[in-house]
Amino acid sequence: MQVLSYSGSQLVDLCSALLLLTCFAIVAQRRLSACVDLFALQSAFLVMTAALVAYLTGNQHLYIAAALTGVIKVIIIPRVLKKVIDRLNVKRELVMYVNVPAGLLICGGLVMLAFFISQPIIPLGFLLTRDSLAIALAIVLIGFFTMIARQKAVTQLVGFLVLENGLFLGATAATYGMPLIVELGVFFDVLIATLIAGIYTNRLQDAFDSVDTNQLTVLKE
Amino acid sequence: MLEAIFLVVAQVTSLLAVSPFLVGLIRKVKARLQLRRGASVFQPYADLAKLFRKQPVISTTASWVFTATPYIVFASTLSAGLLVPTFISQTPMNFAGNIIALVYLLALGTFFLILAGLDAGSTFGGMGSSREAIVASLTEPAMILSIFAIALTNGSTNLSTIVQKTALLEGTVADPSPHLMALAALFIVALAETGRVPVDNPATHLELTMIHEAMVLEYSGRYLALLEWAAGLKLAVFLSLIANVFAPWGIATTVAPAAMMIGFLVYLAKTAALAVLIGVIECMFAKLRLFRVTDLLGVAFILGLLGLLFFYILRS
Amino acid sequence: MIEVAALMIAPLFAGGLSLVVHRSALLHAINLMSMGTLVAAEIMITRTVLRDGPFTALDQLVYLDALSSFILFIIGAVGLACSFYMRSYMDEQVARGMIAPTRLNLFFSLFHMFLLAMVVATIANSVGVQWVAIEATTLATTFLIAFWRRRESLEAGWKYLILCSVGISLALFGVVLLYYSSLHVLSDVSQALNVTQLLPVADRLNPHVLKLAFIFILVGYGTKVGLVPMHSWLPDAYTEAPAPVVAMLAGVLEVVSVYAILRMRMIVDHAVPSGFTGGLLVLLGFSSLVTAALFILIQHNYKRLFAYSSIEHMGIAMIGFGVGGPLGTFGGLFHLLNHAFAKSMAFFAAGNIHRRYHTMEIGHVQGLAVAQPWTAMALMISGLALSALPPFASFASEVQVVTALASQGIPGMPFTSTGGMVSFALSDQFSRVGLATVFLLFAVLAFAGLIYRMTRMVWGTPPEGILREETWTLGHLPIILLAGALVVFSFFLPPPIRQLLEQATMLLVIQ
Repeated sequence: MQVLSYSGSQLVDLCSALLLLTCFAIVAQRRLSACVDLFALQSAFLVMTAALVAYLTGNQHLYIAAALTGVIKVIIIPRVLKKVIDRLNVKRELVMYVNVPAGLLICGGLVMLAFFISQPIIPLGFLLTRDSLAIALAIVLIGFFTMIARQKAVTQLVGFLVLENGLFLGATAATYGMPLIVELGVFFDVLIATLIAGIYTNRLQDAFDSVDTNQLTVLKE
Repeated sequence: MLEAIFLVVAQVTSLLAVSPFLVGLIRKVKARLQLRRGASVFQPYADLAKLFRKQPVISTTASWVFTATPYIVFASTLSAGLLVPTFISQTPMNFAGNIIALVYLLALGTFFLILAGLDAGSTFGGMGSSREAIVASLTEPAMILSIFAIALTNGSTNLSTIVQKTALLEGTVADPSPHLMALAALFIVALAETGRVPVDNPATHLELTMIHEAMVLEYSGRYLALLEWAAGLKLAVFLSLIANVFAPWGIATTVAPAAMMIGFLVYLAKTAALAVLIGVIECMFAKLRLFRVTDLLGVAFILGLLGLLFFYILRS
Repeated sequence: MIEVAALMIAPLFAGGLSLVVHRSALLHAINLMSMGTLVAAEIMITRTVLRDGPFTALDQLVYLDALSSFILFIIGAVGLACSFYMRSYMDEQVARGMIAPTRLNLFFSLFHMFLLAMVVATIANSVGVQWVAIEATTLATTFLIAFWRRRESLEAGWKYLILCSVGISLALFGVVLLYYSSLHVLSDVSQALNVTQLLPVADRLNPHVLKLAFIFILVGYGTKVGLVPMHSWLPDAYTEAPAPVVAMLAGVLEVVSVYAILRMRMIVDHAVPSGFTGGLLVLLGFSSLVTAALFILIQHNYKRLFAYSSIEHMGIAMIGFGVGGPLGTFGGLFHLLNHAFAKSMAFFAAGNIHRRYHTMEIGHVQGLAVAQPWTAMALMISGLALSALPPFASFASEVQVVTALASQGIPGMPFTSTGGMVSFALSDQFSRVGLATVFLLFAVLAFAGLIYRMTRMVWGTPPEGILREETWTLGHLPIILLAGALVVFSFFLPPPIRQLLEQATMLLVIQ
């Protein structure tokens, strides 16, 4: 494994920080379609990061990963989600389990948590860029939080996808990509998961006349 | 000594001269994006000239605060402008105050503007003042945090030192992640402080939404001209701050005439680019409801905080 | 390595073929043939493993040892039982209009894909491929769970999809961390996630990273196992899914997920003192056992009852693995097998009851012994086996686990090693006996809850309008066989299975 040059690793750090920035925008955003757009933007940053790491390290297969991210997460998945949103009778999220300012504060706390968790393992990374692993973990946690804080199925799904982006950032920036077969499998899984969830959202809309997941309370202890 | 005087004069003139242009540019960009022709970029100069010639009308209930405010606001904003590097990294007045002084000079102007809004006794003025107070109280912490993040990563609170340091690094920003967070936070703060969409809309006088315009509604004549000019100056100060702290490339680091010439042209280009960006944002986004402004400024606050945390956790 | 290829090709081929076939008889035939191939291949692999030890195949992609063969055995046995059961169950579902005839082939196709994913997860050499396969099981089963398309099933399916996807994403982060640590040690990047590469160098991997990785993987795959507190999807999914699907989920998928955790643990334990992983497993095991036992007491829906019983038994197995040592590990593995058999049988019975009574309320089911004598017998046997009463094999495995717990205690100090929040001030002796007592207390609570409700369902007179006879169908065959196996295993483990268990235990216990 090669060690990145100083300015190279800084560029990767910068791209990771951009991903984190879009996370906060998603947390603060109430309009469903804007959330999807922001997710697409975040994925575009992810493509940029992957391509950058590929260029800096010369790992050819990371270009494939970057291209796949571009096709799947920047184009296909946002389109699918937009179609789902078009079918729904809700355009924006008015009630959340956690309101936006509190949510932002919690996310700030999550970032801190992520940094503290990953601190002991950062110094040993001779190939690791300084912030990327911690930022990746932070994005994973924020995605997780979004899924909990939001009620609409679509935004929960966006939360899941953000979480996936965080994972992928971790895999690209911290380890310069996984073995190709694993990477392909992960892409395939994410794509199918989103399609399935999209189908589900439609069926939930038909069956419950709503995509509020807080209405899913038929099954209880 | 002579050199310092020259620099002060040059900086004051350039700020005064550039600020109406930036306001005009934003209006022009918005007009073009809305498929209108729009007024000339230099229209604000004509407006100011016209207002200076008109006789002001002052409410009978107004006290001295009302008449003093335009001068205080104009003077404080202009002094704030002297602390921010524009075309040369070594500002002539950098001994007089640092980045924190900048924040409080701007806050002083806001404070008097709020007072003046209340002073005239009109309902709109009071409404605008109370709204401005909300916004100001939310932007302040975000601004302070992001400024601290920048100051810490550069090891100085003096803007000249910060800019000089970054500029001499030949374009590599020393620490990208905290800088990026601070930049995003400061940009949101700049939009809010200068009364831009999505926080305020400078183009309307709709009582439901206006903030800044409501406070200055009672003003006319040269007082209004001063306030308008001060608002333009504030915009120029923020744009210079953002442009030079985060992208100080091309700024003059010595007092050589050629370097200063290039520095001025680059400065003009950078602030103009930011003004175009603001114009585009104003077209793309709708104004937020007042109670949603907290969401946006919350983002700025958290980002500023994160910039600080990045520095403390990762670099310690 | 034809048998290894057959393991994957059979379900893949069957899944593809099922999509284009529409006659139900043909679909069942394909299913049985595919399952038969799978079991045959599994037997051949077990023979090879027992004779020659672990081996890799297909260019290092596949790694098989006693542990994975043992898991394959459970997949094959329960899968075959399911296939026979489906012969009668699915046709009746179609006849009753619960499932449209045109969607039958989709059901079978997804079923095969589910099977394929589990097989791949079991035999994959790369931890990354294993992750992909386990996530694929989620995707394949989510529509199977919601196959009835009622509101409740949609809700259960959505919860399952979201919770498991999120959980498993966390596991992926664990895999990334593992890869990150192995990059420092291994030179061949493309193989750096392979178990065969990792095991020899495991003691040189960075312990900090491995600890973090194990926590993520435990939480991630623990969601799939249904360990408390990541279990909330499980009772809903088990209630709403058609009976054969639940039998596969409870009998096989849980086992495969446990296997994924164990694989990771094999690597981590080389670098980190085993008290760390063991302590975490015991912690989750106890939380599952205690919570599930309490929920068993208040259930009035028999499928949910079995679902919580699943959580309880996975908790017991986890305690066995966590305590470790030859006895605990053997007990845990054996318990997985026994639970898989007993639980699939229980869900077969539950399916039969639901078909006759059209309700899942325990209070509305009475006189099962009169209405469905065969099913009543199966229900009682599975209930007794799940309560770990002699003469069933689960008694033996549970006794092994509790003996290991009482004699060895918790390895290390889990609470101090997981962060130093709480430290055990109690003496070792006291804590061991105390933990064993807690274990037994809650096992008895679960037993009481289970048996009390079973007897209420079996005895009494059936409500009006319930048919009072049960004709013999092919669906009864697996119930009889599983019941027989549970009894036989308690005093006689067939030598190949015993050898597999012993060798798997050897692999998991670190000297």
